[in-house]
Amino acid sequence: MRMEKLIAGDVKFQRKYGFYFLYAILTIIYITAILAIPQSWRGKIVTLLIFSDPPAMGMFFMGAIVLLEKSQRVLCTLAVSPITPQEYIASKMISVSLISLLVAVSIALAAGKDHLFILGMGTVLTSMIFTLLGMIVAVKIESLNQFILWTVPFEIIGFGPAVLYLFGVDFPVFQYYPANICINMVAGRLPGGLKIVILCIFIAILFGLAQKSVLRMWNRLGGAKL
Amino acid sequence: MITVNNLNYSYTDKPFIRDMSFRVSRGEIFGFLGPSGAGKSTLQKILTGMLPDYQGQVQVHGVECKKHKKDFYENIGVDFEFSTMYEKLTARENLNFFSSLYKKKSKSIEGLLEKMGLAQDADKRVSEYSKGMKARLNFIKALLHDPALLCLDEPTSGLDPTNNRLMKDMILEEKAKGKTILLTTHNMQDATELCDRVAFIVGGQIMALDSPHNLIMSRGARTVTYRWQENGEQTAVCALDEISTDQRLQMLIHDNRLLSIHSSEPTLNDIFMDITGRALV
Ligand SMILES: Nc1ncnc2c1ncn2[C@@H]1O[C@H](COP(=O)(O)OP(=O)(O)O)[C@@H](O)[C@H]1O
Ligand SMILES: [Mg+2]
Repeated sequence: MRMEKLIAGDVKFQRKYGFYFLYAILTIIYITAILAIPQSWRGKIVTLLIFSDPPAMGMFFMGAIVLLEKSQRVLCTLAVSPITPQEYIASKMISVSLISLLVAVSIALAAGKDHLFILGMGTVLTSMIFTLLGMIVAVKIESLNQFILWTVPFEIIGFGPAVLYLFGVDFPVFQYYPANICINMVAGRLPGGLKIVILCIFIAILFGLAQKSVLRMWNRLGGAKL
Repeated sequence: MITVNNLNYSYTDKPFIRDMSFRVSRGEIFGFLGPSGAGKSTLQKILTGMLPDYQGQVQVHGVECKKHKKDFYENIGVDFEFSTMYEKLTARENLNFFSSLYKKKSKSIEGLLEKMGLAQDADKRVSEYSKGMKARLNFIKALLHDPALLCLDEPTSGLDPTNNRLMKDMILEEKAKGKTILLTTHNMQDATELCDRVAFIVGGQIMALDSPHNLIMSRGARTVTYRWQENGEQTAVCALDEISTDQRLQMLIHDNRLLSIHSSEPTLNDIFMDITGRALV
């Protein structure tokens, strides 16, 4: 109930602040570009585009949202409301993942990809990972410039496997690396049970870390030195 | 309702809020009166659970503030001294969103906007609001979920006299409904008019705590000033409780020669100066 209201509020916020508009334009550009690429290349490029959206855009947007809520002091209101850190994080994560999912499905449909369900799942899981990372970073910093700097290592971690994937480099150990599991799902390959467990544990750990960070941020809003 | 015992708090290593103790009962308007930087907002932040690293005992609705769960906030409405809204959303969108986060059914947003004179601007973005409009909007937000405790940090600052009156009437209305209200202010008139009791706060300490009436009466003696005609206009002052010993006044009364006579009492401002040695603003 409260969760739904929170998500509805986040979606409204993201629409009002132009995220949906920006993404609509981006999606059109992506699709136009894809349709211009020769058929034989398309598969990998589409996978890459879809996979790279959460680390490139989702994480960035997450940072922008938290910084905005900080600077407009909306966080003060939320800190003295019944909202829990878990709800706050989950709502942001779900609303941003929703955009990534919409973009992914649009691109996949335009490119005539199969396995839409697995692709969609892969996108949502990738998005969860990077929005959580974005949240963890955003609560620690004050400005967008600082945020961009801090996300560089995470971008490398995120894009690393994508680059390897593009060049067909394939170390056996890397197949259990969360980002690689994700990119394979986006490519439409169903992962084995162990890989799904790894992914879930990884996301749970990130969620726990995000929860700690948000709680700390809320407790420090008043100026406490914790 | 609220119990504070031996509260100590500081943002730094230097002691700031020292050894505060007081109680606030249900249905009371309790004021924190003091100059800027006295620690009023700090105290409100402690009472609303935003500064958990205090020492001593601070209980609100029977819950120790530093150990509160999130449902602690279902029954508390907080009005900060600054705007806390999404600037790009309209006033109505903000209120709709924030009120949807509580279990209790929201009060009529329409009605409250109307009452505070914001109905016409309800669909404007908050970024287009003036300071006074934002103050009224934030006040409404604190009221929406009909909380039993209202914490208002300088709610009337930046308001013109008409809106100041409107807001004070709303505060008194909430009191009439049995709500408990913590009111932070450096406005002596607001405090005198609204508060059942006020705490004078300076430098993180409570210097006096009583009803405005008692504070005023206990201190400065009330005086009587009178004028009469005698080689031009003359004025004299005597203490109210010594009025029967003033021979001249007796005579003037007897001869019906008084031009005017006023009694006057010190304001809360005078008392504040008297007790704390500091001006309010
Ligand atoms: N977040 C903070 N960190 C450090 N010091 C603070 C913080 N907030 C307020 N202070 C200091 O604490 C003192 C009291 O502030 P405050 O409670 O806001 O005063 P008031 O509301 O009575 O004007 C001031 O000296 C202020 O500089
Ligand atoms: Mg203040």
